[in-house]
Amino acid sequence: MVTDLTETTSNSETTAIEIRDLSFAYHEKPALHEITLDIPARQITAFIGPSGCGKSTLLRCFNRINDRIPGAHLTAGTIHIHGIEINRPDIDLQELRRRVGMVFQKYNPFKKSIYENVVFSLRLAGIHQRSALDDSAEMALQSAALWDEVKDRLHSSALGLSGGQQQRLCIARAIANQPDILLMDEPCAALDPTATLKIEELLHQLKEQYTIVIVTHNMAQATRCADLTAFLYLGKLIEIGPTLEIFSTPKDPKTLSYISGSFG
Amino acid sequence: MPIEISPSPENPHRFQRRGFSCERAIKYFFASNAGLTLVILLLIIVFLLKEGLGFFPGYRRELEIYRIAGLEFVDISRKNLTAHEQLSSVLNRAYFAQINGQCARELKRSQEAAAVFNAFSDQTSATRELIANHEATGMDRGSEMLATLNNNHACQKQKALDSLPLTPHLSDTERAELIESIRARDVTTVGDPPLVTALAQQYASAQQQCAMPIAEWRSVIDSFEAAGADLSALVTEMTDAVTTTKEAIQNNDILENDRKSLLAAAANAKDPSERQKLMAEARDSLAEKPDIEGPMQSLMLRKPDCIATHAALRQACEGILAMLPPSLSQSDANRLLLAARKASPLFLEALTGTSQQITQWRHDKPVPLSDSIRSFLTGKDWVTGGAWQDFYGILPLLAGSLMISMVALCLAIPAGVGAAIYINQFASPVEQAVVKPVIEFIAAIPSVVLGFIGILIFGTILRDLSQLDGLAWVPGFPIEERLNIFTAGCLLALMSIPTIFSLAEDALNNVPAAFSEASDALGASRIQTTFRVIIPAAFSGILAAVLLGLGRVIGETMVVLLVAGNRIKIPDFSAGLGTFFQPSHTLTGIIAQELGEVPLGSVHYRALFVVGILLFAVVLGINATAHKFVNRTTN
Repeated sequence: MVTDLTETTSNSETTAIEIRDLSFAYHEKPALHEITLDIPARQITAFIGPSGCGKSTLLRCFNRINDRIPGAHLTAGTIHIHGIEINRPDIDLQELRRRVGMVFQKYNPFKKSIYENVVFSLRLAGIHQRSALDDSAEMALQSAALWDEVKDRLHSSALGLSGGQQQRLCIARAIANQPDILLMDEPCAALDPTATLKIEELLHQLKEQYTIVIVTHNMAQATRCADLTAFLYLGKLIEIGPTLEIFSTPKDPKTLSYISGSFG
Repeated sequence: MPIEISPSPENPHRFQRRGFSCERAIKYFFASNAGLTLVILLLIIVFLLKEGLGFFPGYRRELEIYRIAGLEFVDISRKNLTAHEQLSSVLNRAYFAQINGQCARELKRSQEAAAVFNAFSDQTSATRELIANHEATGMDRGSEMLATLNNNHACQKQKALDSLPLTPHLSDTERAELIESIRARDVTTVGDPPLVTALAQQYASAQQQCAMPIAEWRSVIDSFEAAGADLSALVTEMTDAVTTTKEAIQNNDILENDRKSLLAAAANAKDPSERQKLMAEARDSLAEKPDIEGPMQSLMLRKPDCIATHAALRQACEGILAMLPPSLSQSDANRLLLAARKASPLFLEALTGTSQQITQWRHDKPVPLSDSIRSFLTGKDWVTGGAWQDFYGILPLLAGSLMISMVALCLAIPAGVGAAIYINQFASPVEQAVVKPVIEFIAAIPSVVLGFIGILIFGTILRDLSQLDGLAWVPGFPIEERLNIFTAGCLLALMSIPTIFSLAEDALNNVPAAFSEASDALGASRIQTTFRVIIPAAFSGILAAVLLGLGRVIGETMVVLLVAGNRIKIPDFSAGLGTFFQPSHTLTGIIAQELGEVPLGSVHYRALFVVGILLFAVVLGINATAHKFVNRTTN
């Protein structure tokens, strides 16, 4: 299912992730079929599709977090990030994950202080100077639009924050290390509408600096935030295009019936 | 606001409950089961308290008798006498350690040669004696019986020669010579082989030689020992007097109790004639008050005598102790000498203070109840069943229990928690499938069986190992006692590892996967995720696991009874790490050992119940704390 966007690929200046003929399976059960897709840099790309269509699996391939799941493996195809194949055996997974940050569906700050949550990745990298840590923490919290709300209680527990604040803290934690790409797996699924709105505003600011890939169930969210939208169905990429086009003039009848709400 | 219930109509609405449903019966059944456990716990507490609390008044009366009979007075002098004996024993040990240390080579050679010969004799002597007996009775030299015996003897001799003990300190030629001389022996040979005799003589002469330069010191020790003779005689004399008084008071107490119960029975008796009879019996049994004042007066007359003896002893000892050599060449001997030097000023000080103690002592000073409680909680002696005076001081038992638990936890925490971290975070599925059941199986081994392992491996083998020359640098080695705190600690560690392992593993398992996923996604390595995210998150659960392990360790009885050595004494902490190789007794062990032998309702019996209460409180406290930590994890 190759779309008409293929000809605009292979420009590594503007393309952050290149996926070619990607197939993926859990044990013997295939989850993704021959997906070919380019994700442009410094834009927001949204994956939509019904439950179980493989959109999260695809997203989790980009930082190889799927390796945690026993039996999950690539069966064919390649993923290049900034020109390098990330499934090569000699890839440094830790470095890859530092470059490709991730925010999960359910906010999951550690049972530490707000400050320690944000600087966690820096401490992992062996940075211990107080000033460097302080600067990065402030930068990350400001980028995540959380600084003003927490600057007076940086050293109190992160679990005392509201759900929306915790999710923004997770975003701050993911960008403290200044990754190139930010993966977001339904970041607003566990949040109320007000908090969702805040995160969406945040996404617009963040795309100046980061390539963002977001998985969402919420089609309105995709129209509000995404520059590009990809529709997946039963492990296959059905259609990808600029968000407005996908939602106004879908080329594939399956896309039309999904966005018009006849299934999903 | 309660809803007003109208009187039940003849035919209730179908929403209204009717009769007793099966569902309710099932509910009550389970409720009663849950209630039963509460009732049992309540009963345990009530009975422990009922039996235990009677201890303190009883013990108070014992302490009162101890005072009014004058035993306490004698103990003032006796304490000094014991200190004197201990000091002279330490000096003697230092003296012999010095000599034996200097001729250690001769000692070992002599011992090894003797061990070889003894091993041989042990196996052959029975048959040899049989043959000798037969010949003595004039049996036919050619008889079949004698031939069989001779044959047996030859076989045993060969077998014994094949399995002689090692002799690392004898040269090969000496060993060969020794074996040859043993091989040459026949049934009638008597006396030791020449080498054994020669080596024994060498040892004896070496001993003499080593003793020569420190002969002066020997005389110092002898004069120190002799200085205590006066005090010893005085104490013995006073002991006889006060023991008689004590017995009289105790007998009177028993009669008095009998009389009281007779009177009580009389008060309850319905039949007037029966009552008359009981009253008469009670009147008859009215014992004469024992004479306390008389013996006490004569005891008090000894006060100046006591003071004078102590002053004399002090003067003599001060002079003698100043003549101790500054140091000794053998490290063991030097350690003992240092201990003696450290103890001697304390000893002299105690002697000085004694005269005042003796003057101030009064037999009619009252003994309040708080004294018995204090004596129980802070007493350094647990002495029972003695002819002199019973003391119920908890400290030696508490110290034993705590030290054993400390050893056990020091070993079990790294092993249990470490294994849990490995199995939970790093192990392959195959390792998990093998290791987990194996560790959990240890918990199923009966503790008596573990005791055997402890006696054999941790006891015997460890002691034998500790006596190797090459291991003498290990602190606390060589171990003198086979059964000690360390042995018990090792076994208890083994027993608590499954508890700590399982609970710690559960705690690690309960850390949400989201944490490790987030950490992985931030670029953490496996080790970083484990140590920075998983373990901190599971920390209170791990702490709870350790505490529950501690509860298991403190409450364990069988193993400590078997392998702790059961010596009721506060460990001698001056031995450094060697303290852990001393035998000890525990709170649990003492109950198990003594409860079956004490008379029902006696003070001793009640004392054991108080120990039980203490144990119950400690374990309850530990479990409650652990519970708090578990709750903190789950929230």
